[in-house]
Amino acid sequence: MTVYMRRTKATLVAVAAGALMLTACSSGGGGTSKNDTKDKQDQNAKQQQSQITFGDAAASTGPAEEVPGAKPGGTLHALERDSYTHLDPGQIYVSNEGQLATLLHRGLTTYKLDSKGKYTVVGDLATDSGKETDAGKTWTYTLKDGVKFEDGTPITSKDIRWSVERLFAPFITNGPAYLQQWLANTAGSDYRKLLPDGPYKGAHLPDSLLQTPDAKTIVFHFPTAQPDTPYLMAMAGYAVVDSAKDTKEKYDKAPVASGPYKIKSFESGKSMTLVKNTNWDPKTDPARHQYVDTFDITFNHQAPDSTKRLMSDAGENQTSLSFANAVDTKSTPTVVGTASIFKRTVSGYQPFVGQINFNMKKITDLQIRKALALAIPTKPVWQALGASYGAEYAGGYISPTLAGYQKSDPLGKVAKPDGDQVAAKKILTDAGKLNTKITYAYINTAAGQEYSVAIADALKKAGFDVQRKDLPSDTYYDLIGKVDNPYDIYASAWGADWPSTLTVIPPVFDGRTIADQAPNYSHVNDPKINSEIDRIKAITDPVKAADEWFKLNAYITTDVIPGVPTVFYKQLQLFGSKVGGVVYNNVTSGIDLTKLFVNQ
Amino acid sequence: MLRFLVRRTLGALVILLFISAFTYFLFFAIPHDPALLSCGKNCTPDNIALIHRNLGLDEPIPVQYFHYMVGIFAGRHFSVGDCSAPCFGYSFANSDPVWPTILNRFPLTLSLAAGGIVVFLLVGLGAGMLAAWRRGTFIDKFFSSVSLVLSSMQIYFVGPIVLALLVYNNQIMDQPKYVPISEDPVGWFSGLLIPWCVLSIIFTAGYTRMSRSTMIDQLQEEHVRTARAKGMSSRYVFFRYAWRGSLIPIVTMLGLDIGTLLGGAMITEFTFSLAGIGRLAVDSVLRTDLPMLMGVMLFSAALIVLFNIIVDAAYAFIDPRVRLS
Repeated sequence: MTVYMRRTKATLVAVAAGALMLTACSSGGGGTSKNDTKDKQDQNAKQQQSQITFGDAAASTGPAEEVPGAKPGGTLHALERDSYTHLDPGQIYVSNEGQLATLLHRGLTTYKLDSKGKYTVVGDLATDSGKETDAGKTWTYTLKDGVKFEDGTPITSKDIRWSVERLFAPFITNGPAYLQQWLANTAGSDYRKLLPDGPYKGAHLPDSLLQTPDAKTIVFHFPTAQPDTPYLMAMAGYAVVDSAKDTKEKYDKAPVASGPYKIKSFESGKSMTLVKNTNWDPKTDPARHQYVDTFDITFNHQAPDSTKRLMSDAGENQTSLSFANAVDTKSTPTVVGTASIFKRTVSGYQPFVGQINFNMKKITDLQIRKALALAIPTKPVWQALGASYGAEYAGGYISPTLAGYQKSDPLGKVAKPDGDQVAAKKILTDAGKLNTKITYAYINTAAGQEYSVAIADALKKAGFDVQRKDLPSDTYYDLIGKVDNPYDIYASAWGADWPSTLTVIPPVFDGRTIADQAPNYSHVNDPKINSEIDRIKAITDPVKAADEWFKLNAYITTDVIPGVPTVFYKQLQLFGSKVGGVVYNNVTSGIDLTKLFVNQ
Repeated sequence: MLRFLVRRTLGALVILLFISAFTYFLFFAIPHDPALLSCGKNCTPDNIALIHRNLGLDEPIPVQYFHYMVGIFAGRHFSVGDCSAPCFGYSFANSDPVWPTILNRFPLTLSLAAGGIVVFLLVGLGAGMLAAWRRGTFIDKFFSSVSLVLSSMQIYFVGPIVLALLVYNNQIMDQPKYVPISEDPVGWFSGLLIPWCVLSIIFTAGYTRMSRSTMIDQLQEEHVRTARAKGMSSRYVFFRYAWRGSLIPIVTMLGLDIGTLLGGAMITEFTFSLAGIGRLAVDSVLRTDLPMLMGVMLFSAALIVLFNIIVDAAYAFIDPRVRLS
């Protein structure tokens, strides 16, 4: 999710430009009680934090549970900020494309969100979420009967093999690399050596790694245990590609659909129209619906524009929504404070956790890092992101959206979001480090300027000699992403790829992955963290693994102190009065597109 | 005339060549690697190197520039597909072919510019000339004051207010949108009416003031006084002699404005969520998308240069005293 994060992190700060300092329940036009807003938030938080389970064959059988009141037909209009850059599953990583992929593409597994708000990983093209043998090293999938591409061609194990093997080809550079790395048992990009040209010159992965003994069966043999395989197979990046119609780079513009909708037209940067895929069989799909006749998607709608249109609820806007745009922070008080508008909202967490990184190549003294951690206030960041509807104070680096989440506050930042500059000054004084010079690099957006001033002031109060250094928003991550960057502290954010800490702690804190532009922005290289990552990765029981990840999180947060976790990102979304079946989906970080219908 | 056009065209090509080289080489001074656009999570140095190879960024910059320029005249082959001349390459960000994308976006920009120009010429020239004709009267003071107020307005301020008043709150008009004129002429007109009016606001003020002052100057010229002395009617003198004489500075200004508007009315397109050339330019800058940025830059520059030539040529028709040499 790096590219997404690069853009999103910059955008998140940019979006918050001029953000209002909202109070917890906001003000506004009146009509919405504090209880209404709190209930909505609590309900959502509870749903987010429930444990995700792996479903069996019964749970993986279609059709999907009916959405109450749903009616077929009609056109929904989607107002999106960004056009879709990638449509080839192998190249899809960012959230808005992953969200669209739920309508277009199917993989071996998917997430089923039921009417009680429970998430289950179920078989999508496969009959179940995967059969594990050999202590988590071997995973077997069997394809369902009746699964087809949009042209009516049956989907076979040959297509799955092809979809996996093409990920090794040099033109696939943007999608996730977990599966390739797991199969090759390597880190970084070395996996490409396993199949340098993909399947395009006749070479294939050996049976010792990937077997397709018949048209229905796919067996993955991983060199090491991979208990998160059901999650992995649900990523849009591992959805099926039609082997007979693979046009390599060109597939990114005209993919063959396997989901309930197919692309009728796409003008990059302008519009996209989706229509029903008549070869999608609801009996094979436990998670998706096909209520809407047509999705009419237009791009270039910034959040203020989409928010104003949806607030007006006039004409076509009644059947409009935005898949990915959040409510504009400037309009949030009105939206939250006006009952007739607020009832047309859903809200939830995004997978991102913000932090102020300490550059451990430069700040090697633990006492100084401790003092920084105590002194830095997280409230300015929370306020700049839109307060309670845009963020929640974070106690650690693991988001509430991850399985087995445990609430904790080891640094006391949730309890004291203003920081404790007195305690920090005492640490510096005792250590003889008063007036330590700190170069604080911040993103030069309105929000960045706003919270960086407050943070710098707090650090000065604590006895640091702070120099603020503004970095342009479009090159911010390029500059802090360099291993030899000259800055001491800077903000970043990271989001999980699936609801497991495996996609958070290793990429962000494994010292063996330090490289230019790698997400270990603090340059943490702690032997205990590295060895613990290896140990926990080998645990096949997801519940036990989650527990161990949280223990490691506590060690990182309080003993190593590579930074300060600031906030969990959240968002509020608005829709027109004639849009039905709107549910916020934690996994796709936005409105769940598979349940939508038009109230005609 | 032919010699003039040939000479100016050659000059224009040199200008465009200079702009292309300047933009291309300057791009690499930006501390941002375009490979990161396609590098995904856990972006490794190996993956960045691979993307550099895929995009041709592993070659020396002068070699890249040479291939780029050759592509414009002779076409090029890319892994995404063949690109026939004029080939401006494929977007780094989303592999869209640059030239077809520009052509796809241009009708909206053309429609927006054409409608806006009609509005601000009609209103601006009309008000300016009326003010000049009735110099010193209430009409003159009124239009002069209004133009002063309008010239201090900005599209990003007026646009949202107009939208709130006419669309969101009172629903008097439909949401602005672009429909090709060939598909629905009425929808084309109604969809762009608000953007035309808002776009024209800042231009109208300039044309009102310019036409008023040039017309006042013209009305004091000797040949105008002579015409009046010969007994010609005020209206005849106004339109036959003064108006024509006042056109040169207006045409100069108009030529530059048309070129600029056709190169993309960025703020208007952003304000009304329209996807034209201006939007494309901003997106390509924000995404450090070199091929798209180069394409838009050259396209816009070519239009500005072209309209400058047209303006120069038009002088001869407007004022017979001007000879092209």
